[in-house]
Amino acid sequence: MFLALKEIKKEKLRSGLIIAMIALIGYLIFILTGLALGLAHENTDAINSWHVQRITLNATANTDMRQSTLTSAQIADLTSKEAALNEVSVVAKASGKKQQSAVFIGIRKGEFIYQNLKLTSGRRAQAAHEVVADMAFQQGGYKLGSTVKLGSAKQAYTIVGFTDHAKLNIAPVLYGQFATAQQIRGAVGTVASAVVSKRAGYTNPASGTKTYDTQQVIEKLPGYSAQNLTFGMMIGFLMVISLVIIAVFLYILTMQKLPNYAVLRAQGIPSGVLVRATIGQSLLLVVAGLVIAALFTIGTAAILPAAVPMAFDLPLLTAVAAGLLVMALLGSLIPVRAVLHVDPVSVIGG
Amino acid sequence: MSAFEIEHVNQVFGTGTARVQVLHDVNFAAEPGTLSLIMGPSGSGKSTFLTIAGGLLTPTSGTVTVGGKSYAQRTAKQRDALRLDAIGFVLQAYHLLPYLTVADQFKLVDRVKRGGNLPPETLHEVLTQLGIADLLDKYPAELSGGQQQRVAIARALYPDPTIILADEPTAALDSDRVKIVGQLFKDLATTHDKAVVIVTHDARLTAFADELYRMEDGVLTKQSA
Ligand SMILES: Nc1ncnc2c1ncn2[C@@H]1O[C@H](COP(=O)(O)OP(=O)(O)O)[C@@H](O)[C@H]1O
Ligand SMILES: [Mg+2]
Repeated sequence: MFLALKEIKKEKLRSGLIIAMIALIGYLIFILTGLALGLAHENTDAINSWHVQRITLNATANTDMRQSTLTSAQIADLTSKEAALNEVSVVAKASGKKQQSAVFIGIRKGEFIYQNLKLTSGRRAQAAHEVVADMAFQQGGYKLGSTVKLGSAKQAYTIVGFTDHAKLNIAPVLYGQFATAQQIRGAVGTVASAVVSKRAGYTNPASGTKTYDTQQVIEKLPGYSAQNLTFGMMIGFLMVISLVIIAVFLYILTMQKLPNYAVLRAQGIPSGVLVRATIGQSLLLVVAGLVIAALFTIGTAAILPAAVPMAFDLPLLTAVAAGLLVMALLGSLIPVRAVLHVDPVSVIGG
Repeated sequence: MSAFEIEHVNQVFGTGTARVQVLHDVNFAAEPGTLSLIMGPSGSGKSTFLTIAGGLLTPTSGTVTVGGKSYAQRTAKQRDALRLDAIGFVLQAYHLLPYLTVADQFKLVDRVKRGGNLPPETLHEVLTQLGIADLLDKYPAELSGGQQQRVAIARALYPDPTIILADEPTAALDSDRVKIVGQLFKDLATTHDKAVVIVTHDARLTAFADELYRMEDGVLTKQSA
């Protein structure tokens, strides 16, 4: 560390450039991670808020909750660990406000989704034309008592409560009554789209249904897997790019020092000292870059409008930072090899 | 006992038509308390000789014994340790680490070799003698060639080695400095009982030699001192 610190201190411009580069890449990775997580949340927040393990859908629905139709026979005999829900895609409108794609989810008063619904304000929906809306509606200018129309229907619904983290397929959720959802959906004989269960071993016995693990249904959310794959690849590539940058910079810096190192080796300084200096330098530069990137990310998170789908998860960001540190270690391997092969004889005799 | 001894050393570089024999059956012994000066023209094999004496290069044939044990009998780590503790190398190319101030060049030694380095007063004396005591805060790039060379000399003396191997230590120095450096090496031998070996083509140093050798085309011969 002595040599690494001294060199960084003396070579401020060089070190500053590398740190700036790593800070920018680190910042980009942090923001992408936040965006990936934020979008993933907007896809799955509602499902996650129910804390369910299994989801029953119509067997021919291609694991897509939006396409699933269940009859009353298929949602009979549910225990207190199960809840039925009816999901309908809607467009919410109110005069003077922008149209908003949303998901209407009809739920039953006696069941756990209704009972466990966490409200940030207001109360639960009790009458047929009352809804509890996701916070996105509040951010869009709706208040408790505001009315909203769904699609071209005349019926107005009153927002009686707001809830947080109620998003499905990147659309805010309106929780209403079970029967209302059926009316909006207008499909004869269809009363629900899914049964969700808190039990890991739950399987709906009714014919024509299929019961999945929650994760299977989430993976099949439209675009969800593709999105995660894309972000994963971008982050992976950025990691590799940072690896290359660290390796190249460190290699150049180390190659320039080889005659000096050769002299030190001739004077009996163990190669371990020089190896540690190289790795230490790499780690110090990356840590400094990561600290700056983290500060930028914190700053960004602080000024970000609530509507931007970004979520910052400390363990996840720490894992990403640890990944970059591993890249720093890997990036110092090639220069370390050069240091280990330094031949003191090469500088003897000038 | 000799500080180190070189017996029947031959050094050959390259093979076939590129084959050059740089050292021919070289025999040499360095005694504590003695300054041995090896004079020879450029390309005669002086640096190669010193490289072999310091255990950096294993000769094509022959043995080098230091402290009663040959380099061949020591591991690479032990040779490193020996060079750190017992051998002060003043190299022809000093290549001081550019990001260490003069003071830090010594601190680096402190961090690697924790005990037995020159006490601060002694270091200060050496630096004063060499005329570089007021350069402690300077980086190598801020020093002249001669100043760098004197820092390299002080750096080699700092671990208080018993053997001092110096390759053209006066190449960048004017005649007054040559006298000072020559006297310093001479004192190290006579007062501190070091075995000092200097290879050079600088005739200004002959005045300080206890033993005088000549290197000519890889052949080492002792001159009458
Ligand atoms: N690694 C090497 N490979 C081939 N030739 C070498 C090598 N090192 C030194 N030589 C040759 O050995 C001769 C002696 O070199 P050197 O010991 O540096 O002489 P001096 O220090 O007396 O000037 C020179 O001709 C040089 O070209
Ligand atoms: Mg030479």
